[in-house]
Amino acid sequence: MVVASLAFVEFLVIILARDIYLNGLHIYTLGASSPDLTIPENYIVPVRIILEVDSMSIFMAIISATVSLAAAIYSLSFMKGETGQNRFYTLLLLLVAGMFGMVLTGDLFNLFVFLEIASIAGAALTAFRTKFADTAEGGLKYIVISTVAALMVLFAIGIFYAQYNLINIGALAHVMQYTMLDKIALVLLAIAFMMKLASVPLHMWCPDTYSVAPASITIMLVVASYACLYALFRTCFTLYGVSPDMVTVGWIVITLGMLTMFVGVTMAVFQTDIKRLMAYHCISQTGYMLLGIGVGLAVLNRPEALNTYGIAAMDGGIFHIINNALYKGLLFLTAGALFYRTGTRDLNRMGGLAHKMKWTTIFYIIGALSISGIPPFNGFASKLLIYESVYRFNPILAIVAMITSILTLASFTKAFYSAFMGAELPEYQEVKEVPKSMIAGMAILAAGIIFFSLFPGLVVERLAHPATEALINQGAYISGIMGGGG
Amino acid sequence: MSISGLSYSPWSPIFWLLASVVVMIMAYFFRRRGQKKYKKDTEQTKIFLCGEEVPEAKQRHIRAHNVYWGFFETMKEYYDANIKAHTGIINDYIIWFLVLIAISAIILFIVGIV
Repeated sequence: MVVASLAFVEFLVIILARDIYLNGLHIYTLGASSPDLTIPENYIVPVRIILEVDSMSIFMAIISATVSLAAAIYSLSFMKGETGQNRFYTLLLLLVAGMFGMVLTGDLFNLFVFLEIASIAGAALTAFRTKFADTAEGGLKYIVISTVAALMVLFAIGIFYAQYNLINIGALAHVMQYTMLDKIALVLLAIAFMMKLASVPLHMWCPDTYSVAPASITIMLVVASYACLYALFRTCFTLYGVSPDMVTVGWIVITLGMLTMFVGVTMAVFQTDIKRLMAYHCISQTGYMLLGIGVGLAVLNRPEALNTYGIAAMDGGIFHIINNALYKGLLFLTAGALFYRTGTRDLNRMGGLAHKMKWTTIFYIIGALSISGIPPFNGFASKLLIYESVYRFNPILAIVAMITSILTLASFTKAFYSAFMGAELPEYQEVKEVPKSMIAGMAILAAGIIFFSLFPGLVVERLAHPATEALINQGAYISGIMGGGG
Repeated sequence: MSISGLSYSPWSPIFWLLASVVVMIMAYFFRRRGQKKYKKDTEQTKIFLCGEEVPEAKQRHIRAHNVYWGFFETMKEYYDANIKAHTGIINDYIIWFLVLIAISAIILFIVGIV
């Protein structure tokens, strides 16, 4: 039932994506006589909850729907032995609802509510397997950092409401005065979302939480963190747009992106817990996205630089989001498969598993080559876009990004050798391949990787570039709200 | 061919795969010209360790913590600092959060004045 409903959601999202690609931005006003009646009669500002879906929103919705479907299918076998299945799937759907709400809403307070929904569901799912000693700690850390981050978001919303009597993103962007209070709100929003993104130095909760959550939930937490990345983009590009502070904000994002990339990967190489290793890589890959988007922000006020390399950097950063959701999701699922059969996450205790788990090995290789940026996989395509465009902005940044990629390969080679290579170990003589539903969950993501690897131009042209255009074109988002109905 | 219609980022996975197929065919051709006396599942395929007895599988598998040992030794100070910073205590995580908010606000404030 859960899988069928998520498959239907995926179908609806694809239809909506096609419609947005052909006809542009969509508005839906909740409770209005007409969906596009954003400003009721006798009002001059929007007052209802409004869903505003453009190419960036639907891009994130595609990621959420695809990964959620793979996670639900994988969970069928992975969570089979657990008690409270109905509660597990209810929370899973709640997490999906939170992610969708965050990426589809056009209202800041609504964004806060859905952020809370996703956080509560995520924490509960992380701590779901109470039979393991460390799950409660992981869940607690997730809910504490999420609540503190959400509190800062609420403070920022309060600042906007006190000044402008508005909480709609488009309407706020329309009247934004860039006062000192607006700057404080910008800092609160940006750093709160970066906390949820696990950007260095706010990353330490990430390995603690991701490593103990069930593998299918870990990949959903990754996507939930990308919903916060989306919220960061919306804040910077749509809410504040072309303001003088954006160059500074761009450089802050770039600096944190570089730190995130480098610290994440160097800490990953050091790990011997396979899920902690992958969690650190998750942090590291977020650095690439921040770098690409940060360059776009830094040159937002310079049309020539924006057109020469800024848009390409943003295309690369956005393309990397969907690529990372696919291969990082796949890698976490393979780690879950190893844990499912061996009962350990410790790479020191693994070895020779390729003899017994052939499908898992193949999926791991696909994911590892892709995340390491090895041609012809999709990770290479998005990294190439980032390298070349960022090189034109500042060559040193591109060089650090390449070194990070080399360390990524080194790290996954270590994990591959430790877990899969070598002779069969006596303690794993009885190990066999994981059940079919887990293979199916991994296969969905692997198929996505292969498709994106073969047709990167198509994905950039139809998904990533329209998303970049939607972010840059602040006016279209504002007129979607202020120019509608009434 | 370009990923996003730019003059740079020339990349086509299809051409890359075609080139790979050509290289694989060449590799297969050279391999066929190689040693003919190879026989599967004989003494030829067993591990040779200078005539010594080969240890059991469990003993000869190099464990994860030994991989890249030299790299970690060289970077010991860097890793010590990072591991020390990662206390596992959530209060410390929140302190990092507040410090970053303060630093970012100060930077934006200074830039605003200048």
